[in-house]
Amino acid sequence: MGSYMMVTILDVVISGLLLGGIYAVTAVGLSLQYGVARVLNIAHGEFIMLGAFITYSLYTRFGINPLICFAICGPLVFAVGFILYRTLFTRLRMSSPTPGAFEGNSMLACFGLLFIIQNVAILIWGADIKGYTYLAFPVDLWGARFAANRLVTLGFALAICLVFYLFLANTRLGKAIRAAAQDPDTAGLMGVRINQVLALCFGFGALMAGLGGALISISYKIQPTMGLEYTMIALIVIVLGGLGSIPGSFVGGLVLGLVGSIVTHIEPGLSLVAYYVIFMLLLLIKPTGILGK
Amino acid sequence: MKNKGWIWIFVITVALLFLAGPVGAKEAAVKDKIRIGQAISLSGPLAGAVAIAGGPIYELWVEEVNKNGGIYVKEYGKKLPVELIRYDDKSDIGTMTNLLEKLILEDKVDFVFPPWGTAWLFAAAPIANKYGYILIGGPGGALKLKELSLPYFFQVLNFSETQAPALADIFKGVGVKSVAVISRGDLHGIEYGNAMVPYFKKKGIDVKMNKSFPPGIKDLSPMLKEAKSLNVDAFVAAAYPDGGMLLTGQAMELGIDFNAFFISVLPFSPKLYRGTFGAQGVEGVMGGGAWNAKTSPGAKELVDKFVARFKEEPDYWGGLYYWSSLQHFQQAIEKAGTLNQKKIRDIMAKEKFNTALGPFWYDKDRYFVNHPGEIGQWQKGVFEVIDPGPKRTAPPEYPKPPWPKK
Repeated sequence: MGSYMMVTILDVVISGLLLGGIYAVTAVGLSLQYGVARVLNIAHGEFIMLGAFITYSLYTRFGINPLICFAICGPLVFAVGFILYRTLFTRLRMSSPTPGAFEGNSMLACFGLLFIIQNVAILIWGADIKGYTYLAFPVDLWGARFAANRLVTLGFALAICLVFYLFLANTRLGKAIRAAAQDPDTAGLMGVRINQVLALCFGFGALMAGLGGALISISYKIQPTMGLEYTMIALIVIVLGGLGSIPGSFVGGLVLGLVGSIVTHIEPGLSLVAYYVIFMLLLLIKPTGILGK
Repeated sequence: MKNKGWIWIFVITVALLFLAGPVGAKEAAVKDKIRIGQAISLSGPLAGAVAIAGGPIYELWVEEVNKNGGIYVKEYGKKLPVELIRYDDKSDIGTMTNLLEKLILEDKVDFVFPPWGTAWLFAAAPIANKYGYILIGGPGGALKLKELSLPYFFQVLNFSETQAPALADIFKGVGVKSVAVISRGDLHGIEYGNAMVPYFKKKGIDVKMNKSFPPGIKDLSPMLKEAKSLNVDAFVAAAYPDGGMLLTGQAMELGIDFNAFFISVLPFSPKLYRGTFGAQGVEGVMGGGAWNAKTSPGAKELVDKFVARFKEEPDYWGGLYYWSSLQHFQQAIEKAGTLNQKKIRDIMAKEKFNTALGPFWYDKDRYFVNHPGEIGQWQKGVFEVIDPGPKRTAPPEYPKPPWPKK
């Protein structure tokens, strides 16, 4: 009985982390875009979808290993994000009288982007569900059983977040990004090329979304309309973790995955409800989030 | 100031689009074609399902009719070609009902085709009925519609009412002793998943687990693991394609096997299901349906035409049902000799016509009853009809072989 209990706990915890890892990667991206670049990117999920479909196409058409696809789809989605910020959002930022107005305007622009990207994807890939199988075999861990592809996904998700955190903590550019997050105007006065840095942030946010999408395509079926669902989850996670806090988003993602897994184990019908209950409880009890200041 | 400029440009563009709309839609003075309107999901979450189930059949039928010069209508003394006008409801029921009313009131189309999905059909039927437009149901079908008994609504697709007893019979026949049931938490799950449980019980099959899951769930492995730990013979899921794909993928990845594995809405799609998991992967999986090229000569012809046009096989649940319902509809129009809805409706309600699936008629509730099959099972790349009785194209394969090792 004791060992059965242990296996069940292990099962629930690892299942939660498997889901939480993906949530963490995508939420870190959104956190960067909202926390630093001040764009509440409602189209974040569309970048996830792009990453997923690029990986799908590269794997099914050209047989390129999905894990190698990262190296292709990451920079591609980064470029899209960077160019979008330099053209669309920089212009919006300049023409908005206050940072508050910019947030509102950029969010509306993101709504537009959402429909444009989604419909372009429907034109290219069609509206139907797509998927492929990769590393689809079971692995036994201490008596509990998991899919190999999900374990690989979790490993990559953790690695991506770690590398990104080290980048922010240890490089000059990382420092500039953190400075811009705290106070963009002052950072600008101190010689940070603020437009460049904000565009890079938005690009990195898109990059994380793209990589998250690539990971999602390994263990889930994908379709052009999948984005909004992931945007909603990422939004919950960044609030959960504390707005603008990168480590907070990471922790928040894992926590949400765990909560989902525990509730699914008890009553599957309530698994999605639990996300929103957590979200509301947090706003009532600690509105700044887990690691927010 | 700059912002206001953009807003004005937007407003003017939208206004121009609205003004331009009706001009193109104005009816020609001389009747030269039959215009059929359809509000259906071309974008949004349902668009994927429309593309694999049903959507293309309507296009193919219009092309076929026009290839033969159109439908002969005596009133006009000539064959009239058919034009299909499609609007995108963006997978939203409210948008669909608005577009349906626009098609009827503004565009004044001659006929309407159904939207996609049980809930959508449920919303569309009373509207079509209110304006006296015939609505021949396509994909979807709620038992609740039967209670409404709308005189202009015709139900084509089969549903849990006939599929659940067939599945229980099949299970009984092959020796299934216990079953786990999971259902999507919406109208489909309620009407399908819950409807099956009493039929299983009646056949003495032990329902050891009965749970529901929310649409959009990301992990179904706990339910698979629980069912496995209960040691059930059969796993039955009332699910839509998204959930079904996740379920199959996870069962395969985790190597969780059952002697019988059934998903309501998904296995019928050769493109999505067999296309993703491969013929070997889906071997032995059962699903709602069903028909195939062996069902009738007309069915074979439909498969050939569909493959020639779309380079893939049609869906093996509703494809033949919709196709035959349209052939029945065409013959009713020709017999009526007019485009008058009332006269055509009366003929449709009582006449039996020959179609691709064989004789086609509606019962007193205007429900199509001569189904080509209820339950299908993938066997060596073919979606075989495994119902007990004469419609069977192959006996059930039991136990289902284990998922292939990758």
